[in-house]
Amino acid sequence: MGNLLMNEWIKIFRKLSTTIMIVLLLLGIVTMGAFYKYQETTSTTQVNENWKQELQTQISSDQEGLTTAGENNANMKTYYERQIALNEYRIENDIAPNNEQHIWTFVGDSQMMISLAGLFSIIIAAGIVSSEFSSGTIKLLLIRPISRVKILLSKYITVLLFGILMLAIIYLFSSLVGLVLFGLPSTDVSHLAYSNGEVIERSISFNLVIQYLLSSIDILMIATMAFMISSAFRNSSFAIGISLFLLFMGGTATILLASWFDWTKYILFANTDLTAYFDGVPIVEGMTLSFSIVMLLIYFLIFHLLAFGIFAKRDVAA
Amino acid sequence: MSAVLTLEHVKKTIKGNPIINDLSFSVQAGEIFGLLGPNGAGKTTTIRMIVGLIGLTDGDIIVSGKSVKKNFEEAVKNIGAIVENPEMYKHLTGYQNLKQYARMHKGISKEKIDEVIELVGLTERIDEKVRTYSLGMRQRLGLAQCLLHDPKLLILDEPTNGLDPAGIREFRDHLRMLTETKGMSVIVSSHLLSEMEMMCDRIAIIQQGTLTDIQYVRDFVDNDQMVYLIETGPLDNVKNWLQQDWNATFVDSGFTVSVNKEEVPLLLNRLIDSKVSVYSAKEIVKTLEQRFLEVTTHTNGGL
Ligand SMILES: Nc1ncnc2c1ncn2[C@@H]1O[C@H](COP(=O)(O)OP(=O)(O)OP(=O)(O)O)[C@@H](O)[C@H]1O
Ligand SMILES: [Mg+2]
Repeated sequence: MGNLLMNEWIKIFRKLSTTIMIVLLLLGIVTMGAFYKYQETTSTTQVNENWKQELQTQISSDQEGLTTAGENNANMKTYYERQIALNEYRIENDIAPNNEQHIWTFVGDSQMMISLAGLFSIIIAAGIVSSEFSSGTIKLLLIRPISRVKILLSKYITVLLFGILMLAIIYLFSSLVGLVLFGLPSTDVSHLAYSNGEVIERSISFNLVIQYLLSSIDILMIATMAFMISSAFRNSSFAIGISLFLLFMGGTATILLASWFDWTKYILFANTDLTAYFDGVPIVEGMTLSFSIVMLLIYFLIFHLLAFGIFAKRDVAA
Repeated sequence: MSAVLTLEHVKKTIKGNPIINDLSFSVQAGEIFGLLGPNGAGKTTTIRMIVGLIGLTDGDIIVSGKSVKKNFEEAVKNIGAIVENPEMYKHLTGYQNLKQYARMHKGISKEKIDEVIELVGLTERIDEKVRTYSLGMRQRLGLAQCLLHDPKLLILDEPTNGLDPAGIREFRDHLRMLTETKGMSVIVSSHLLSEMEMMCDRIAIIQQGTLTDIQYVRDFVDNDQMVYLIETGPLDNVKNWLQQDWNATFVDSGFTVSVNKEEVPLLLNRLIDSKVSVYSAKEIVKTLEQRFLEVTTHTNGGL
């Protein structure tokens, strides 16, 4: 298996397009850093002495929203409840809302880049099997004394490793850029999380690692789907097209559907955002973390059954 | 002699169309076996089944005692193959391509890789990207790729496609060397008979998925007997002994006879003694080519 992974890794990293992807990712982070730095220098951040009073006004307006909008919409109700709880916690414990930019806020902002990493991972996932078919090299690959299942598995693991590498690049490189541009936070900061009606303080860097992983779940699922399509249909443009469409539209479409239909909760994209269970509200009322995890596992299993089932059996006449 | 490869009543149907019908043959150790047939006869399909790229509808294929169907990994371990064009990773160098394949077999040393590169004559260009290779160079790399693990059976689908005359000659010599020194068996497919005759020990003719003939090439080449067409005047007086002693076949302008070269003067002297007018005597080359064309044109070819 080690040798197979090495082969796949070499094939990917000897491609110019892979180098371009990594360079784009790094450039994206630097550009973002420059932009935020520019914003920071132009806007004067003075400490607002009246922040408690302002939060109090905010709370009363949220409470109003809670009674009017929260009446018939469970999602909005939880949203307002969360805002109120967080703001009350700040007033009680004397934690001023902090607008200061520092290394961790930048690492957090860099999560935007995960979409780009996702795009690249999906491109790799969609091409890793189908490119062997389109170049004809699949013939020389499948006549080795290695089962097709092992070959496909090595390719899937390579896709996962590639995705993890992309995430690591974003996290580490944005820490570096953040440290250089914004420095460490001036006061001890921690993350305020709201869960089950309670507010909890968490270490911010650890919270970011979790955030990164959680925001990659939809990418993991879509990349797995792209991989499945690419192994089953042997066509990378089809796999890339449909996957990118779902990556950018799937979430939005699901949110739209969620306000009308209860069965939306069975759609893949209703379950990919697990952060909702920690810091937000689930898309359909009554959904739980374990429900989403089970749904994700079911989708994951279906994708792999299709990919491996079809790849292992089908005639190779490319 | 032991069979390295045996096809047992192999059938393949694709989308309801029978592509291969009940194909059976075996290839012996050290033998160069030719698969000959017109375009679309099913040569590539047969090869794809042997290497496990496509499944069998019926029958079985045994490589070195192991069934490709039931024991794919054990069976295919003994095979090195090029199926149709030798497609390689174009963005890698020739050497990196060979390394890819070397990693998928057990115990291939760096020395072995270098030895194979030397053998196929790619030493100078091996560190260049395959993108820059000519067709002939890709064929050479393809050959190198299937020799890495010293297979017992080499399967080459139209291997001389793209090679220059010197390259083809060299390729033939390689095959001879491999079969003689390493005892490798080789299956070569082609639709060019002249090439196959020079290269193979035995040739199977496939047409529309059916084996129509298997012949030993050496029987032909080593056989001193040639067919001569003797153009003569009327033969009425001599027909009897011509038929009995020489087994002649009569045609409009005279007769044909299959004899050794040394016997030709003998025959002609006797004819002249019997007062038959002899106009000419010429050798007709009746090679496998004719046999091939005869067989294949009867059935409207394979197209
Ligand atoms: N995937 C496929 N689907 C349908 N028919 C196929 C498929 N592959 C091959 N065939 C048919 O099977 C027959 C044999 O094809 P094959 O490629 O084996 O011929 P071949 O003897 O290698 O010919 P050539 O000399 O042109 O290489 C052809 O009639 C072809 O149309
Ligand atoms: Mg062919």
